[in-house]
Amino acid sequence: MTGWRPALLIAWRDALRHKGRSVLVLVMISLPVLAVSAAAVVIKTGEVSGIEGAERRLGAADARILTEGRGRIVQAPDVSNGEWSFIGEADYDNPATEDDVRGVLGADTRLLPITSGWSRARLGDRVIDFSTTGVDLSDPLTRGLFDLETGHLPQAPGEVVVNDAMITKGFAVGDELEVGGTTLTITGGGRDATDRTQPIVIGSVEDLVDESTNRREWLVDAGGPVSWSTVQELNEIGGVVTSRAVLADPPDVASMAEQMGYDTGQDEIFAIVALIVVMALIEVVLLAGPAFAVGARRHARTLALIAASGGTPAQSRRVILGSGVVLGLVASGIGLVLGIVAGWALLPLVQRFNGEWFGPFELPWLYLLAIVAFGLLSALLASAVPAWLASRQDVVAVLAGRRGDRSPRASTPVVGLVLLGVGIAASAYGAVTSDSGNGALWIAGSAVVSVLGMILVVPVVVSAVARVSGRLPLTARYAARDAARHRTRTVPAVAAVAATVAGVVALGIANASDERQNEMTYTPQAQMGAGFISWGPDLLPGEELADAATTWTRLEEVARAAAPGVEVTAVQGLNDVYDPNGYTTTFIEPARGMQDTCCLSVYGPTVTVADSAADLGITGATAEVVDRTLAAGRAIVFTGSLDGETEATVRRETWRPNSDESDVETTPGVAAQLVRWDPADSSPAPTSAILPTALADELGLDVTTVSLRLTGDLDEASETRIREDVRGAVDGTYLYVERGYERPDEAVIILLVLGALGGVLMLGGTLTATFLALSDAKPDLATLSAVGAAPRARRRVAAAYALVIGVVGAILGAGVGFIPGIAISRPLTAGSGSNSAAPDGPFLAIPWLLIITIVVALPLLTAAVVGLTARSRLPLVARLD
Amino acid sequence: MNAVLHLAAVSRVHGQGATEVHALRSVTFRARPGELVAVMGPSGSGKSTLLTLAGGLDAPTSGSVWIEGTDLASLDNAGRARIRRTSVGYVFQDFNLIPALTAAENVALPRELDGEKSKIARRLALVALEEVGIVDLVDRFPDEMSGGQQQRVAIARAIVGERRLILADEPTGALDTDTGEEILRLLRARCDAGAAGVMVTHEARHAAWADRVVFLRDGVIVDETGADEPETLLAGETR
Repeated sequence: MTGWRPALLIAWRDALRHKGRSVLVLVMISLPVLAVSAAAVVIKTGEVSGIEGAERRLGAADARILTEGRGRIVQAPDVSNGEWSFIGEADYDNPATEDDVRGVLGADTRLLPITSGWSRARLGDRVIDFSTTGVDLSDPLTRGLFDLETGHLPQAPGEVVVNDAMITKGFAVGDELEVGGTTLTITGGGRDATDRTQPIVIGSVEDLVDESTNRREWLVDAGGPVSWSTVQELNEIGGVVTSRAVLADPPDVASMAEQMGYDTGQDEIFAIVALIVVMALIEVVLLAGPAFAVGARRHARTLALIAASGGTPAQSRRVILGSGVVLGLVASGIGLVLGIVAGWALLPLVQRFNGEWFGPFELPWLYLLAIVAFGLLSALLASAVPAWLASRQDVVAVLAGRRGDRSPRASTPVVGLVLLGVGIAASAYGAVTSDSGNGALWIAGSAVVSVLGMILVVPVVVSAVARVSGRLPLTARYAARDAARHRTRTVPAVAAVAATVAGVVALGIANASDERQNEMTYTPQAQMGAGFISWGPDLLPGEELADAATTWTRLEEVARAAAPGVEVTAVQGLNDVYDPNGYTTTFIEPARGMQDTCCLSVYGPTVTVADSAADLGITGATAEVVDRTLAAGRAIVFTGSLDGETEATVRRETWRPNSDESDVETTPGVAAQLVRWDPADSSPAPTSAILPTALADELGLDVTTVSLRLTGDLDEASETRIREDVRGAVDGTYLYVERGYERPDEAVIILLVLGALGGVLMLGGTLTATFLALSDAKPDLATLSAVGAAPRARRRVAAAYALVIGVVGAILGAGVGFIPGIAISRPLTAGSGSNSAAPDGPFLAIPWLLIITIVVALPLLTAAVVGLTARSRLPLVARLD
Repeated sequence: MNAVLHLAAVSRVHGQGATEVHALRSVTFRARPGELVAVMGPSGSGKSTLLTLAGGLDAPTSGSVWIEGTDLASLDNAGRARIRRTSVGYVFQDFNLIPALTAAENVALPRELDGEKSKIARRLALVALEEVGIVDLVDRFPDEMSGGQQQRVAIARAIVGERRLILADEPTGALDTDTGEEILRLLRARCDAGAAGVMVTHEARHAAWADRVVFLRDGVIVDETGADEPETLLAGETR
């Protein structure tokens, strides 16, 4: 350590003296540390694992035992994520009983039954879903499961308490609920230990039965801790056990996946996390790198003097690495403290988006330590190259006052190109093998390799730009040449911009290709610009379906009144409204042997009744066939592939509650025309089959309105008006208007976020390098001033500098980003191969607008920002006395 | 004959209160065409301040600076910059060439900054470089030249485009004796050709090249002498 003392001291004083540069490094490193540690705190606090979750699942009990069948169980110490399974055969009809459990735990063990289920109840015109728990809340074993806030706990049969989410839905203490045919009275409200937004009803075991008849669960008072060996004994009789003692001190057992012998995907997750960390590390190192490079140059004279007076290269290195250690430690410390505070402050906000209550505030020290190590490592790596170069500097040249870096080694770009080649090959391999699993991993790994290769090529590119800059205007020429002369400062900045751009371009291509797939495989539900209203009210058992004819008339009136410019046509057909008291489904069946080619699956009603194609909005050549066939009194069955004649029957299946068999009604066969519906036609078939009115009457079918077809001036305003009005008038209506494929907001937001993130990182990288360059260029700027440069020359130089860094970085990065971008689009958009009509993947779309914005507009914008914010005063030449 | 440079009762005070330093106190000074004036004096006497004021790089606290009949106080920053591009040329002790630019580009700099086309600026630069005798080094970068060559480039930059006032701050300070003499001969030749030159130096031997020597001490001109013909002085020296 003694060898480091002077180096660290110099570094510390240097950091204090050059505050601007120190702050720059601190920001670059502490920001990611802050963000990740805040996330770690929030995630770990939100995660209720192990002993944290004991009270909300066990109450005051020693254990909770679930059994669904008799057989041998393998379970993890914590089964909250469903980590248990039967091994071998299990007898589901005969699960372990209370006596079986007592046989293991002792005869004096107290078992309190607890049930879980799910139900729904009507509240006004809405139907609310909720989960149910049956348990005797007055038993002290349940302490902690539910906190009563108003009213009282259930005391008599038929009484229940609800959680705040139920109250928010509109129920109140004193209200009655119909659950499974029993009327329950809400006697209290409060806070469920686990569920925050999911409505939950808690009552007696008798009132709220388990979701399946053979499931049994108990809270256990075993009179002492239930050990892991006891848990394993219970496993033998099919018990799945959550034991407080085991949660508090989990045994060191192999994970479920290992015990069951299947692949967990853990390795892949670990690989992905490692790749993300490496990418972030590269970015941070590149962003902080220029500051260390400039620091090293400022120390050049000191280091040369050290070398001249007998210092070893290692000692020179330590001075620069010392800055990395000092700034890395300080930045990580600041980032960690701020991150913990930010995480703590964010908890209430994040809780609002989470349905389950968070656990107690938790600081995951192991993770936080790793994050601090990341910060320190990035600072060390950022200072490593400048330190190495500083230790090899030309002492004579430095002491003689000459500036500038050594020319790049010829081998470096070769290694870079080789790495780029490896990256391309790995990407291609990943894209080709994407079907067999971890292609995405290959591609992500290849992205890292490509970026590393690109970094090695950057020096050559920067030098090349300087060489061809002779014809550029003065300030651009100066900027390009100066950038090349000070490569240790320029290269990381250019590489940081390039890495950012590569990431944005790759993700942009992935996103655009994904969108292209969505667009190409989109299936319209109606003719373009047309819409329909359908009706399917939510009914509970015992409730009556409103009269269909009256309802449709009302809907038609309301829709007409809401938008006079919209034509409303009632479509007649066979109704398939869902009714829990007995519902009917309609099928059309062509003659035997034709099933394969029939029928078109459609969004509309299966069988409609009409006398002209116009009634259903069918146009063109198909309309002629339809009209002719209907006029001839024959039925029409649309097919995907062939025309012809057949005989079809209409089959209606009616299902009654608590019945495994349906009542089937089949019409006699009628003459039917098969009509091919062209899949290339953008509008979908409105129905599977059409019967002429006369034929339907003849068959004695119950024809009603099945939907309302909307055509005409159906703009978004009238769509909204119709939707609101019909919804207000009749419960259970649904309006759909076909507007073709519309890019979902999320896709646009992702693009915007990508662009913004890219912009911020690019601006950060460019600004850093530019202002460091300006401070380095002070003597040159003073000379410029002395030979008559106008004050704005400094701004021009700054802007030109930013432009050189931005453009070179963006072009390189865009090029490199194409490699993983194109590769990843393949596994991302590969077709499933099942749908024959829709075009099959893979799809590739290049978001040119995004790329041009990033390669052209962003560098220009950055240069403008730099040009406008740079001070315009030129420094004065100071004579060295 | 009108003076190219005229400092009228110029004072410059740096800092305020306890740290107040009077760099120049009411200095009046002229440099005429064809005249090389040497400014001598000990460290901190105000020599360099005089040069920065003369080139409009700094403004006087009181008094006025005139270059070719223009009061610098009447110009804004941009105007003073234009004067430096068109009328004044600086030569520094440590050359102050821009390392990222070649010799020709360094010399062409004032013309390019003045908006001249690159080609024309380069042609003018070549003329200036020819005058200082290093036209064969036009495409070298400063790093690739000796100190004397660099200072010749700096002088070429100071004279490019027919500028009539050359301000030189210890132009030979970083050079060996022979090279220094060459540079002085060059400056002298420019002045003989009609330019006005002001040269700060602390070596009496160099002052001998000047037509006139001004002695500064604590910001005041304490003596002003005409000098003998430099060549005769040189002749009497043993080398």
